[in-house]
Formats: sequence, structure tokens, C-alpha cells
Amino acid sequence: MKKTNPSFLNGIPELLVLRLLAQREMYGYQIVEEIRTRTGEAFSFGEGCIYPYLHYLETEKQVSSRRREVSGRSRNYYKLTARGRKRLEALSSEWKRVTSGVSLLMGEQYA
Amino acid sequence: MRKADFIERLRRRLVELSCPLARVPRLIREIADHRDDLKQAGIAEGLSETAAEIRADKQLGDPQVLAEHLMATQRQSSWWGRHFVVTFGLLPLLAFPVMWLLLLLLQMVLAFALGYGWDVKKLHVAVNDPVTFQHVRMAFQFIDYVAVALAALLICWLARRAAVNPKWMVTACAVCSFLALFTWGQIEPHSFFVGFSADSHLHLQWLRGAIPLAVAGAVYIFQRRMARHFQEKIAV
Repeated sequence: MKKTNPSFLNGIPELLVLRLLAQREMYGYQIVEEIRTRTGEAFSFGEGCIYPYLHYLETEKQVSSRRREVSGRSRNYYKLTARGRKRLEALSSEWKRVTSGVSLLMGEQYA
Repeated sequence: MRKADFIERLRRRLVELSCPLARVPRLIREIADHRDDLKQAGIAEGLSETAAEIRADKQLGDPQVLAEHLMATQRQSSWWGRHFVVTFGLLPLLAFPVMWLLLLLLQMVLAFALGYGWDVKKLHVAVNDPVTFQHVRMAFQFIDYVAVALAALLICWLARRAAVNPKWMVTACAVCSFLALFTWGQIEPHSFFVGFSADSHLHLQWLRGAIPLAVAGAVYIFQRRMARHFQEKIAV
């Protein structure tokens, strides 16, 4: 049976965070800002609300964190783990499947 | 609002909202870092330090509301927290009997293994002696109560982990209590029974029913004390 994924929309923040962390190690404020600017403000986390989410990803071993001092500022930096990379691949292919399906239905105008 | 006030109000509200105490310091430290980053961004845009601080506070919003958002996100991050009505209202109906039975069997196996090794013949001879059998029966009764208490404790632990309102922990334990009234286990020479019955003939069934509620009460008091102790510690 083909797997359906009605909860996929719930996975968008996870996809965005994992995608950003796949590029480089980042701290919470940086992630919030990158999501805001790089999605053209289409998505934004409430200020501060990213942290419980990052902690969840950490307990799921999709990201790991360490306290690091950069330019005299000490912050918690997060980076992707091997498990997170696998999860990102799965979410990305699901995203492609959903967007191509939606594009087909909506027509070229919205593709 | 000064940074210390903001952080203090946020911390107090998080504790009030049953945020796991082990998570509070890290969450607070990260929010404090985030506030500093917002402030620095304001200064970089040409605002004065005070104006940047005021804007950072505005962006973060009321600490009480922020704490509620943080807790909502915390709950959303676990299946148990997202489906707390199912988890703490309905799941104990299925999970409690299974957990109780597994724990009971595990503890009986351990008790017999510790007392008699795996010598079944020796065990059979022993239970033929009325005095020894009485001891075995008392041990079984004790193990049964411990299993009920452990099943309730597991549910309390899950409630804490999901960071849900304590009333859900009490609700789940009340369901367990109801089930404990009707589940029973009994040991006879050379046989062992477990069952579910509305007219159980076992004595002290009410005591089994009271155990999950007592566990919930004890855990609730313990959590309140820990939260108060935590608040006092950070106030010093």
C-alpha cells in the first residue's frame, strides 16, 4: 500500500531546520533569522520558540549541540548528525513528491 | 524591562507550567542568549543600547506568554504531549493491565529465582508446607502492590516527560485506580491466576485501587516541593 502522509505539513519546520543545519553549524537565533530571510518571511518561528524544538531534535539524535565561544560570545551551536541527515533525505524526497503532485494539479501558473 | 526581570519572570512561569526542572536552566540560558542577539541586532541597526533592549523585549513579548509558547512547543514535540487526552485519558485503559501483568510476572520470576533458583521440584515441595506457602502468598501480595505502584509511577513519569498539566497525571492515575479495583492476581499451591472481574472476591481490593492515587498524590507533592526548592535556590 502506498504510504500517505497527511501530517507532512507538520514536518516543514523539521525540514527547514535540518536543511539549514546540513549546511553548517548554527545557533538558535541564527536559525530563526535564516528561516525568516531565506523563505522571504513565508515561515517564521516565534522568537525563542525554536529552542524546545531543537531540544526535541537533539533527544531524537537528529542534531547534536555544544557550547562554543565565537567572538567573545558563548552560545549553544547545533549540528546535524548522521541520523538527522537520513531524516533530511527522507523529508526532502517526500517534499519533492508532494510539491510535484501539487504543481501538477495547480498547473504551470503555480509551479 | 531589565534583563534580570525578564529572565526571572520567564523562569518562574516555566516552573509553574510544569516544565521539567532539568530543562529550565538550558532553556533560560538560550533565551538569554537569544535576547542578547536581538539586542545586538538592534544596536547594529543604529539603535541606542536602551532602545535596542526595549525592542528585543518587544520582539520576545511578555515572558509569561513566551513561557506558555515554549511549553506548547515542548508538548508538541512529543507524541504523548500532542495527544495528551488519548495518552492520559484512554491509554491507561489498555496500557495499565498490560504493564501491571508484565511487572508482576517479572517480579515473581525475580523473587522465585532469588529464593529458589530454578528448582521447580524444590518450589513445589516448599509450597506444600502451609507456613512456607503463607510466606509465598504474602510475598505475592506485596509484589502485586509494588507492580500496581510501578505501573502508576511509569504513567507519572510519562506525564512529566510530556510536560503536560499535572491534572492529566492525576486523571491517568484515576483511570489506573479504577482498573486496579477490578484486576486481580491470586496464588494457590502449584497454580497462579490473574483476571479482571467486577466482583472480585479478593480482600483489600480497595487498597490496590488506592495505590495509583497515592502515587499520583506523592509525585504531585514531590514536584511542588522540588519546584519551590528550585525557585528558592534561584532567588538566593
